[in-house]
Amino acid sequence: MAFIHLNSALAFTVIPLEIWDCPGDIALETLKAETPLSQFAALIFVVDIQDLYQPTITKMVETIVSLYQENPDIDLEVFVHKSDVLSEEYKIENFRHLQQRVMDELMYIGNEYEQLPINFQLTSIYDHSLHDAFSRVMHKLIDCLPYLEDLLNVFCSNSQSSKAFLFDINSRLYVATDASPVDPPTHNLCNDYLQMLNAFGPLYKSITATSPSAPRAALPSVTPAPSRSRTTSLPGSTGSRPLSTKPLFYPSASTSLASSTAGAGAGTTLTYHLITPHLALLALIPTTVFEARRGLVEYNVVFFREGVQEICQVEEEARRVVQT
Amino acid sequence: MKKKVLLMGASGSGKTSMRSLIFSNNPASLTARLGATIDVEQNHVRFLGDLILNLWDCGGQDAFMDSYLSTQQSTIFQHVGVLIYVFEVESRNREKDLEYYRNCLDALRRYSPDASIFLLVHKMDLARPPREQVLERKAEELRQVSGDVPVTVYGTTIHDESLYKAWSGIVHTLIPNASVLSRHLAILAHACSATEVILFERTTFLVIATSNPPAAPSFSAPPLITSTPSSSFTSNGFTSTSTSTSTRTTSTATVTSQHAVNVPEPRENDPHQLAPTRYERTSELIKAFKYSCSRVREEFHALEMELGEFTAVLDELTRNTYVLIVVHDPTIETAALRMNIRLARQKFEELQGDSLIS
Ligand SMILES: Nc1nc2c(ncn2[C@@H]2O[C@H](COP(=O)(O)OP(=O)(O)OP(=O)(O)O)[C@@H](O)[C@H]2O)c(=O)[nH]1
Ligand SMILES: Nc1nc2c(ncn2[C@@H]2O[C@H](COP(=O)(O)OP(=O)(O)O)[C@@H](O)[C@H]2O)c(=O)[nH]1
Ligand SMILES: [Mg+2]
Repeated sequence: MAFIHLNSALAFTVIPLEIWDCPGDIALETLKAETPLSQFAALIFVVDIQDLYQPTITKMVETIVSLYQENPDIDLEVFVHKSDVLSEEYKIENFRHLQQRVMDELMYIGNEYEQLPINFQLTSIYDHSLHDAFSRVMHKLIDCLPYLEDLLNVFCSNSQSSKAFLFDINSRLYVATDASPVDPPTHNLCNDYLQMLNAFGPLYKSITATSPSAPRAALPSVTPAPSRSRTTSLPGSTGSRPLSTKPLFYPSASTSLASSTAGAGAGTTLTYHLITPHLALLALIPTTVFEARRGLVEYNVVFFREGVQEICQVEEEARRVVQT
Repeated sequence: MKKKVLLMGASGSGKTSMRSLIFSNNPASLTARLGATIDVEQNHVRFLGDLILNLWDCGGQDAFMDSYLSTQQSTIFQHVGVLIYVFEVESRNREKDLEYYRNCLDALRRYSPDASIFLLVHKMDLARPPREQVLERKAEELRQVSGDVPVTVYGTTIHDESLYKAWSGIVHTLIPNASVLSRHLAILAHACSATEVILFERTTFLVIATSNPPAAPSFSAPPLITSTPSSSFTSNGFTSTSTSTSTRTTSTATVTSQHAVNVPEPRENDPHQLAPTRYERTSELIKAFKYSCSRVREEFHALEMELGEFTAVLDELTRNTYVLIVVHDPTIETAALRMNIRLARQKFEELQGDSLIS
C-alpha cells in the first residue's frame, strides 16, 4: 500500500501541511487503518475532466460521502484536472456537467446530502490554476488568515497597490492576498515572476563573495529591520562602510512593465520583498507611484513584515504549546 | 549589412520551432501546432542596428529538398553567410538525413565557400541517457561526414536553455565588432565594481557579448567574419587574444543538454565560479517572463534584484540591446548601477553605429 507523505516538500511557516497522496483505487478502510479519518482537514479528490463516466462519479461521490460521515468538519474539494486538454467552451461545459452529475448522485443517496459543501475547481499543471486552487484550499486551514489579509489590505491602500500576494516561496502557493478579487492572469504573472527570481539566485551565486546577512532560516526576532540601509555608494568607490552595525538583509526585487494597450505612463511595477525566510510579498504598484515614493513603499513593507513576523511567532508558540 | 542564414534539415526536425522560440517569443508548448513548412519561408530579422538576418527556413520534405538541390540550387545556396543544419538526435532516417546534408555541403562549397556551418543535434530531450555520450557520438559522425569542412556542433532542445547557447554562439560570429563591445563592457563592469556585464539583443535576448572574454569554445572568435582580431580585456585587466585562426581547423562539440555533466570551465582568474550555463539560462528565463507579461498585455521593461546571492540590474542599453550588470559587492546600490547604464548609453549607441561600417 503506497501512501506518499509530502510534508517536507512544502515547508510552510504559517501552517505545517501534511499531504497524503493516495492511489486511485484506495478503499477508505485501508486509509482508516493507517490513521483516524478525523485527522484529515481536507479531502482533495482529483478527477480527469475527460473521464466523466458514471462509475467514476459514483465512486467519487461514495468516497466523499463516507469520509464526510466520519468527519463532518472536513473540507471537501474536487479538482477537475487536465483542463488544458479541452477548449474553453468544452471545458466550462464539462465542468458544469460534472457538478450537476455529482449533485444528482448526492440527491440519490439521500436528501440530507444535497447541500453537502463541495468546492469544485478547474485545474491543470500547464498553467498556474493548480497553484491557485491549492492556495484556496490552504486558506481554509490557516487560522490567522484574517490577520494576514488585514495587513495586506493596509499595505495595498497605503502603497496604492492594486493587488498583493503573500507567497510561500518554494511551493509558490499564496498564503494570503488582499481583499480585491484574484484575477487568474495577474496571479499567473506573479507566480511566473517568483519562479524567475527563484531561478536567478543560484545562477549568479558566487562561491567566494560574502552574501549580506540574510535572515536566518529560523524565524528572526521581531526587531524593526529596515531593508539594507540606503547609503548611496558611488560606483567604483571602495566603500569603507562599517559592517558591524549592518541590519538584517532582506532580498528584494522589482520589475517595471509597460502596458501595451494603455498609453504611456500607465506602467506597472511588480515588487518582491522577502518577509520571512519562507514568505515573500509580491505587489503590483503603478510605476509612477513606485518611482516617486519608493521610500514610502519600503517603509510600508517594513511595517508589513513586522506584522507578519509577529503573527508567525504567535502561531509558532501556540504550536509548541500544543505539542508539549 | 545583411546576412543570409539558411536553416535546413529534415522535415519535423524542429527548424520552425526554434525560429518561433527565438525570434517570436513563443513558448515551447505552442510549437506542437506548427505545420510542415511549405517551400521556403523568408524572414528579415533586424538584429542590432543595421545587421539584418535574412533567415531562410527551408521546409524539409523530400520534394522540397530535391528541388533545392536541383533547379533552385543557385537561388538557395548563393550569398549564404551561415548554414544551420538541424538533425534530430533520434532520427528514423539517419542515412537519408546524411545524404541530403552531404549534397547541401557540396552545393554550398560551389556557391558560398566562405559560409560558416553550424550543426544542431536537436531534440536532445528525447535522447536516451547518457545524453552527453549520445551527443558526442553523433557529433563525431557528423564531423566525419563533413570531411575537411569546419563545422561547429551543438546539442539542443526547445525545452531548455541549450537552444539559447547555440543561437547566441551563432549570432556572435555575425557581429563584426564583438570584441570591441566586449572591451567596453569590461570598462563598464569596472566602473560598477561589477563581477560581470552581459549584453543581450533586445527581442531575442540572445547574448551578444560579455565583459569576460569568451572562454567556451562556442564563443571563440568567428572563424571567417572577424575583421579585427584584437585582444579583449577581462574585468580583472587580464588580456587574452581571441583566436581567429585556430578555430578554423578544429570543430567543436558543445555538450549543452541540461543533463550533461557540465565541467566548469577552468578559469584561474575567476574567483566567483558562477554557473557555467548562466548566460543561456538568463536568456531563457527572461524570454519566459517576457511571454508571461505578453499574456497580460504588458511589456517587460526592466528588472532590478537585490537577492541574497548578488545584486543586479537588467535594463535597456541601446535601442537594440539590454544590459545585465551583476555585482557581488553588497555595498553597491542598484541606483548607482542604473546611473552608470544611463551614462553608458551614448557610448554604446556610437559603438553600434560603428559596427555597420566595418
Ligand atoms: N521533444 C521535442 N520536440 C521538438 C523539439 N523541437 C521541435 N519539436 C517538435 O517537433 C515537431 C516539428 O517541428 P517543426 O519546427 O515544425 O519542424 P520543421 O523542421 O520546421 O519541419 P519542416 O517545416 O517540415 O521542415 C513539432 O511538433 C515540435 O513541437 C525538441 O527540442 N524536443
Ligand atoms: N494534459 C494534462 N496532463 C496531465 C496533467 N496533469 C497530469 N497529467 C498527466 O497525467 C498522467 C498521470 O499523472 P499522475 O500524477 O501520475 O496521476 P496519478 O495516478 O493520479 O498520481 C501523467 O502522464 C501526467 O503527465 C494536466 O494538467 N494536463
Ligand atoms: Mg518548418
